[in-house]
Amino acid sequence: MEDRIIMTIQSVLDKRPLITLDSHLLEDLRVDSLDKLMILSALEDEFAITISEDDFADVVTIKDIVMKLKARGFFAGGAATI
Amino acid sequence: MDLRDFYTRLSVDESLAEVMGYNPYYQKIDSGLNARILVNGHEMIDLASNNYLGLAADNRVKQAAMEAIKKYGVSLCGTPIATGYIDLFQQLEKKLSHFIELEETIILPSCYQANNGLFNCIAGPKDLIIVDRLVHSSLIEGIKSTGSKIRPFLHNNLEHLEGILQRSMGYRQVFVVTESVFSTEGSIAPFKEIVQLCEKYEAMPIIDDSHGIGVLGKSGRGILEEQRIAGYRGIYTASLGKAFANSGGMISGEKKLINYLKYYCSHLVYSTALTPAVLAGISSVLDIIHFEFSGIKKKLINKQRQIYEALLEGGFKVVYSKAPMNSIQTGSKEATFILNRKLYEKGILSTPFIEPAVPISEGRVRLIAGASLSQDTVDEAVAIIKRIGFS
Ligand SMILES: Cc1ncc(COP(=O)(O)O)c(C=O)c1O
Repeated sequence: MEDRIIMTIQSVLDKRPLITLDSHLLEDLRVDSLDKLMILSALEDEFAITISEDDFADVVTIKDIVMKLKARGFFAGGAATI
Repeated sequence: MDLRDFYTRLSVDESLAEVMGYNPYYQKIDSGLNARILVNGHEMIDLASNNYLGLAADNRVKQAAMEAIKKYGVSLCGTPIATGYIDLFQQLEKKLSHFIELEETIILPSCYQANNGLFNCIAGPKDLIIVDRLVHSSLIEGIKSTGSKIRPFLHNNLEHLEGILQRSMGYRQVFVVTESVFSTEGSIAPFKEIVQLCEKYEAMPIIDDSHGIGVLGKSGRGILEEQRIAGYRGIYTASLGKAFANSGGMISGEKKLINYLKYYCSHLVYSTALTPAVLAGISSVLDIIHFEFSGIKKKLINKQRQIYEALLEGGFKVVYSKAPMNSIQTGSKEATFILNRKLYEKGILSTPFIEPAVPISEGRVRLIAGASLSQDTVDEAVAIIKRIGFS
């Protein structure tokens, strides 16, 4: 599941370094507010979920995004199913 | 609550300017856009302004503005809905509509204001606005004011756009927003294809043609003429302060839309109308474009090419643009300021773009060589650019 999240994010961050779980959104990936909207939209599409921007206001790293998605129970079926 | 706290919060981060010992912003200009401009008292070559056609200090345009002042005074001291709607205003609306071949037009004090005011009249929380990731701040601000769902797409990427359109069910209306010429990059939107996608998915296209009007197309009519987009049914905005060498912002489209905005767009209704001098100035620019565009455009392209070749020779990272500008990819904000300062010290005024005007670490220095620059001036600019590149 982490891989799928990373791949989805990478697909909307062109001209950026390779993303890992530890990538820092601002420092490593230079993500600005529009990039962030694009990331959230891409995740919504990829996983057929709805994300509220406010819930993701405090994410700093890719891992934070993964944790949020997990915590919200989006992947209740377990990683194996995704 | 303490006023001191309030003012403490308002501090500007000037660290970069301090480290560099140089601030490229708010340079004092002591002249008009003449053959050479005076910046802080020094004569310089203007490669910074958006005076594409070189008409800002054209005698015919000045004369038209002066005659309007003689007839109407300097202002009608009223908004268009009240005393501001003089015959010149109405005539210019018609002339602009005719020029871009759309049904009707309204004119606001600036395109920033037009882009800010447009969206919350036409979109709300039930709508989706899909927007190119690199559009101008005025569009972003306008879009954010609507409460609509916002989905950016990768710059000029039709595949990404179509993917989003395909998955955009259940909204009251979907809008697709982009610019014709992206002024920090010099890239041009594949707008014809975007309009076709909008037709396929029943979305409403909105284009900001600020850097295209008076520049693109066989007769300067902008992006719709350039890409042969006939019967455009979307919304069109443009600045009148760039190639048109005056100030103001237009919104054009179908009569129904424009009539609605005339009564509901607060940025139009509650803001003092453009002044007579400006209205007459724009009108005279349109006349000049009508008769002289192809000659002016040739000069513009020729100058762009000379600057481009000098940049290549000097080893700068620059991509050839189909729009008449050259955008040097400088990267970090420090590198952007350094190049802008080097040019400044050698006598060239350029425009630096750092975040948030561009994505982080995608700094640019833009050079626009207007059509009215003399060959001597361009030769000098070319020599300076090469010298800086080799140093
Ligand atoms: C694409 C774009 N839209 C809108 C504006 C704002 O236009 P105005 O200067 O007329 O407010 C600008 C530049 O200033 C621009 O580059």
